[in-house]
Amino acid sequence: MENAKLPRIVLVRVLLRSFALQASWNFERLQNLGVLYTLGPALRRMFRGEELAAAYRRHLDYFNTHPFLASPILGAILSLEEKKNRGEESYLGVQEFKGMIMAPYAAMGDALFWGGVRPLAAGVALFFAARQSLWAPAVFLLLFNLPHLWFRLIGFWRGYIRGLAVVEGIQRHRLPDLAIRLKEATVVLLGGLCAYLVFLSLREEGFSAGWGMAVIPLVILAGRLARKGVSTLLLVLVMSTIVLFFSFSG
Amino acid sequence: MAAANYLMAASVAVVSGLDRTAFLQLMISRPIVAAPLTGWLLGDAAAGLLVGSMVELLWLGRLPVGAAIPPDDTQVAIGSTMLAITMGSRLGLSGPAFIILSILVAMPLGKVGQLFERWAREWNGKLLQKAGDALAEDRFRAAERAHLWGMAHFALSSLATFATIVLVGSLLLHELAPVLLRPVTHAAPWLRVAFPVMGTAIILSSINVRRSLTLFAASFTSALLMLWLL
Repeated sequence: MENAKLPRIVLVRVLLRSFALQASWNFERLQNLGVLYTLGPALRRMFRGEELAAAYRRHLDYFNTHPFLASPILGAILSLEEKKNRGEESYLGVQEFKGMIMAPYAAMGDALFWGGVRPLAAGVALFFAARQSLWAPAVFLLLFNLPHLWFRLIGFWRGYIRGLAVVEGIQRHRLPDLAIRLKEATVVLLGGLCAYLVFLSLREEGFSAGWGMAVIPLVILAGRLARKGVSTLLLVLVMSTIVLFFSFSG
Repeated sequence: MAAANYLMAASVAVVSGLDRTAFLQLMISRPIVAAPLTGWLLGDAAAGLLVGSMVELLWLGRLPVGAAIPPDDTQVAIGSTMLAITMGSRLGLSGPAFIILSILVAMPLGKVGQLFERWAREWNGKLLQKAGDALAEDRFRAAERAHLWGMAHFALSSLATFATIVLVGSLLLHELAPVLLRPVTHAAPWLRVAFPVMGTAIILSSINVRRSLTLFAASFTSALLMLWLL
């Protein structure tokens, strides 16, 4: 806590603004204006005159990372800016730190949240949807947003308090390993979900559940086609046409 | 009443569209949330739930990484729900078959979402100049405000995608429903399951897990056998 100098109200404003980090996402410098906007209240509090202009210009550089894992980075940037304001030396400058950390954090965040948490939450919610339960959206939002908001709130706070040391904290959590475990859980869950949906359809149409095993080669075939670059839209339209043809003719 | 419905669905389209990238990212933009929400506002949450459950997995494997713009499954879900409910009531049609037909019509139209979103991101590039000019004159708050204009671009892009899906989709459904509804009714129980299975196959192709097919096959087989035996 000894490093914390900014008033809490400023920190809260910065945290709330971080939810709009990608509002002006652009192809030239991606999230750079978002960083400038997010840190604005803190920079205005810390610097004056030419120093303030220089601080704003520092954050016009290219920046891109995962929006949720941006929180610890933004917290650590604030800590570095404070040190700079106090005239303390740091072994990494603000721009060096941003440049060094954004790509690995983007990769970790993409794998963990887009590749792990989101499909897993969707898989669980779809079981509820299969039973026509309107709890499905609520279950999805809860499962996704608990880790999401935890990372944003706690990550920002720890980034601010620990400064550059927040990187070690994130390393200790072994997020890439966690992402792999979540993805494995998602694959198992999707297997169960598909079996459940196929079983319900076969029972409704009066077929033996054994016919459901035909789904596995279909999944392998569709997966291979998707990997070869066939678009989702084309796969779905072709599959629908085949299903329509056989259902109508049979 | 119809105007109020369009207004409500358009509001969900804009809010969810912002949630996709520009603001919050609480995932109310996911089809499993946005479609039931639209359905509930239009008086048929069950229709929205069916749309959400069919569309959710299809593009879930397409990650919004770097400069990649995934297909706009949010507007496909909201647009399909809107079409299913409003066109259904206008044409005197309802039930899963008409909902599935609405999805099939909305899906190809959703491609325009990528185009509109690309334009929004290109317009956002012009905000850099605006912010740079403001900073050159020490107008710091004006530079911050330039960032917020990006939200207007994303909102317009979402609204344009939604409007395209609903307007063109209404015309297409009007023409196609009399021809295609009967075959879709026959195929509806299979299509309901085919969409999530296809989505699963696409996710497995991109999930980057060793032996994902083995894991999937083992899980699928054991679950199916248990359901069969119990």
